[in-house]
Amino acid sequence: MRPVLLSGHERALTQVKYSSDGDLIFTVAKDQIPSVWFSANGERLGSYSGHVGAVWTVDVNPDTTLLATGAADNTMRLWNVKTGKLLKTWEFESSIKRVEFSPDGRQLLGVTERRQNVLPSIMVFDIIPDVDAEQSSEHALRIICDESKATVAGFSYNAKYIIAGHEDGTVTQYDGKTGEYIDNIQAHEEEMQVTDLQWSPDRTYFITSSKDKSAKLITTDDLEVLKTYVTDTPLNSAAIFPVKDYVILGGGQAAMDVTTTSARQGKFEARFYHKIFEDEIGRVRGHFGPLNYVAVDPTGKSYASGGEDGYVRLHHFDRTFFDFMYEVEREAATGRL
Amino acid sequence: QDFNKKNLANKAVIDQRRRLLDEWKAWRESVEERMEEEPGYKTADQKEEDGGEVIE
Repeated sequence: MRPVLLSGHERALTQVKYSSDGDLIFTVAKDQIPSVWFSANGERLGSYSGHVGAVWTVDVNPDTTLLATGAADNTMRLWNVKTGKLLKTWEFESSIKRVEFSPDGRQLLGVTERRQNVLPSIMVFDIIPDVDAEQSSEHALRIICDESKATVAGFSYNAKYIIAGHEDGTVTQYDGKTGEYIDNIQAHEEEMQVTDLQWSPDRTYFITSSKDKSAKLITTDDLEVLKTYVTDTPLNSAAIFPVKDYVILGGGQAAMDVTTTSARQGKFEARFYHKIFEDEIGRVRGHFGPLNYVAVDPTGKSYASGGEDGYVRLHHFDRTFFDFMYEVEREAATGRL
Repeated sequence: QDFNKKNLANKAVIDQRRRLLDEWKAWRESVEERMEEEPGYKTADQKEEDGGEVIE
């Protein structure tokens, strides 16, 4: 696998997102400047200036015209992807830790942080998918998370549900239209924060990662835990491959390895697991600090990891990666012919 | 004897994987069936027929 280093950020990366056709990569970091890159060669295409605090989160709408970001400056912002122009700023009383567009791009959610006298919440806004439109300042929905603050959240298929992961290791299902609470499960160990939630391509299931050193594959409709991936390190992120039955996990213990900056390659690893068999397939090392986010190209050509070390490492897969099959998978594939 | 043990272990692993793969496929089929009732939902196959996920 040929790694490309996207160097440009000056601080730890917080989130990395591909556009729906896999051509572009959007990155946010504690350095306040969201960036966009070509996934083919890692060239920086532009940046989005305006935030005055660490940027925690980013998402791009399905037709790659609108970019949403959330930051420690208590704002969620909407940008014109192509021109870099700031289109809208929503102000809150606390940080925005997660943003995500609905599958049709007509809604945007923001997860707000807990603060003294401020309850953590999930705010939903209606979005007009047009760069020239005047976006609404009023939220369409507000879900208060008074049991345990949400750390991550997203929209299911058809935005039927909003699914959130929480600080206490639970996962909640809310009605996507009314915001009404439906179900809650203790997906991860108690008081072990859910650090990431990423969807399968059709959003009928998703993967969560946690500080409890595991990742879980969970069904959208019933919140049933289908698979568990066990590691030996706290996890910050997990992603589902679109074309192969793999998942990729990222994390790492922050204090381990402080003197490796002189080494050519860091020791922090992205871990690949078989999605169905739950066993580890391989690791890719390279980062000098924990992996804060892992993202997979929706077309399956590459993956990108954002590190505490301030780098984004972009890997394009070799042919052998796609050709590899377990014995029973090959058997099933030939059986179908 | 060790060789036999190893073969038995391998067989157990392969049987287990075969079972997991069948179980996964059955679950995916049941989901895709149920999802047909969802307005706007398309299975991966349908998306492919439409020439991929065309956005505009």
